[in-house]
Amino acid sequence: MELFVERLLAGVTNGSIFALLALALVMVYRSTGTLNFAQGEFALFSAFFAWWLVGTGLPVWAAVIAGMVAGFVLCAAAERALIRPVQRKSELATLIVALGLFSGLNAAVALIWGTDTKVMPSIVPNGLEDYFELFGARVYGDTVITWVALAAVTILMTLLFTKTELGLHMRAVADNAESAALTGVNTSRILMLGWGLAGAIGALAGSLATPLAPEQLSVTTMFPIFIGACAAALLGGLDSLAGAVIGGLIIGVVEAMVTGYVPLVGGAMQQTTAMVLIVLILVVRPNGLFGSKELERV
Amino acid sequence: MSALEISGLSAGYGAADVVRDISISVPAGEVVVVLGANGAGKTTTMRAICGLIDRRGSIRVDGVEIGSKPADVVNAGVSLVPQGRGTLGTLTVLDNLRVGAALRRDRAAIEEDIERWTSVFPVLAERVDQRAGTLSGGEQQMLAVARALMARPRVLLCDEPSLGLAPRIVQHLFATLRDINSEDATSMLIVEQNAELAMDLASSVYLLEVGRVVRSGTPASFREDTELRRAYLGY
Ligand SMILES: Nc1ncnc2c1ncn2[C@@H]1O[C@H](COP(=O)(O)OP(=O)(O)O)[C@@H](O)[C@H]1O
Ligand SMILES: [Mg+2]
Repeated sequence: MELFVERLLAGVTNGSIFALLALALVMVYRSTGTLNFAQGEFALFSAFFAWWLVGTGLPVWAAVIAGMVAGFVLCAAAERALIRPVQRKSELATLIVALGLFSGLNAAVALIWGTDTKVMPSIVPNGLEDYFELFGARVYGDTVITWVALAAVTILMTLLFTKTELGLHMRAVADNAESAALTGVNTSRILMLGWGLAGAIGALAGSLATPLAPEQLSVTTMFPIFIGACAAALLGGLDSLAGAVIGGLIIGVVEAMVTGYVPLVGGAMQQTTAMVLIVLILVVRPNGLFGSKELERV
Repeated sequence: MSALEISGLSAGYGAADVVRDISISVPAGEVVVVLGANGAGKTTTMRAICGLIDRRGSIRVDGVEIGSKPADVVNAGVSLVPQGRGTLGTLTVLDNLRVGAALRRDRAAIEEDIERWTSVFPVLAERVDQRAGTLSGGEQQMLAVARALMARPRVLLCDEPSLGLAPRIVQHLFATLRDINSEDATSMLIVEQNAELAMDLASSVYLLEVGRVVRSGTPASFREDTELRRAYLGY
């Protein structure tokens, strides 16, 4: 029972990180209809930046916020300078630019900060004694902070989209950019903002994930997380906030259970679980659990 | 003075101009109709006025030259009801109307306008919380007009508002446009391929052929010309 709860909590925690990065994917997908394959590497760059700032003596929380700002600027700039010029031409071109960004950012991280493993400190007290017990399992501070972060980001994004004029304009641009422009909405600003917010959310995911990641912060840290986030976003239907969150938690828990209870698969094969899930989702339910089907008369 | 004065407008997609040297004048408070066959460049002209594509030439509203960004055009008091209606299908009817007021800051007046246009178009009032993509073609056309009106335009542009609609609905639509024109003195520039109804509202008519204005005059002068009548008025 205790072991089961421990695995469940570990799954929920990993799932929260998947969900956060999946929310970033949904944000981009809703603003430009693109699956941003570089989202994980944007997060990686921002997390390294935050780690570097901690090294200069900045408190961890301030470094994480600065990393989010960097993620915002980087992603918004990439949308404006690299994605938008090719987007009008073809979807394939957009995909290739995203893949280029993926390897470019990864190489930039290796070039600037080296390929050795770093230790990113946790944003909250995270010593051996900093835990409380839940059904007999120990819950540490860095676990709780991922849950809190996911809840906070989900609530803020929901409020943004449903309660604010900015959110209304973002939904309008995602639906029909030309109609939105005709009412005077600044579509260029909205697209950059959508990507920027995704960059900031991804940066948060990256900074929170690394204290949990077994190998700490290295150039390969974000890849398995990105695969999990892709599975989560696909399961949730790519354009649904609730879908991304629920998808992330499901993927995290399924991974933890498979790793824990299926002897042959084992810990080294974690990503395979997510990969298999991705293929299954695409075959069985390409719109995911919550994806909006086209519901329009012409 | 003209509410909208287009002179020497040229625009296109890429290298070649699709429309050249277009000049159209919409007198304040009046309705002007642009006729033209499919592919003549009517939509291109409208898109150029609204800043969706690059243009050359001059566009003045009440004598003042307007900017080339879509928001400049809306701010100058010009709103377009686009061909195909431009419905924001995943948004509710109410949200579609709110987006129409994107550049306005007068919250109370925005709510009043929502009240007003949903009572002018009762089909919208019954469906405010419904996703706009589920409306019928006629309802979406009403919504497109209402959305454009939410910006409180001085000049309303309509690109083929009757396209694909049943005759009864087209009649209702034009009756409503006539009311708005007379109540608010909103000037209108209406593009149609088959324009008998629009001609009833118009004080002047322009004919577009392969990207140029080839003729303009009063509706009566167009009706008198047998050839034009057969080609564009269908009788
Ligand atoms: N997006 C576009 N790209 C290239 N050419 C276009 C585009 N839209 C329209 N055209 C061309 O411009 C010409 C005028 O089209 P349009 O303005 O839509 O005519 P109308 O509205 O009078 O039917 C046509 O020859 C059409 O093929
Ligand atoms: Mg047209």
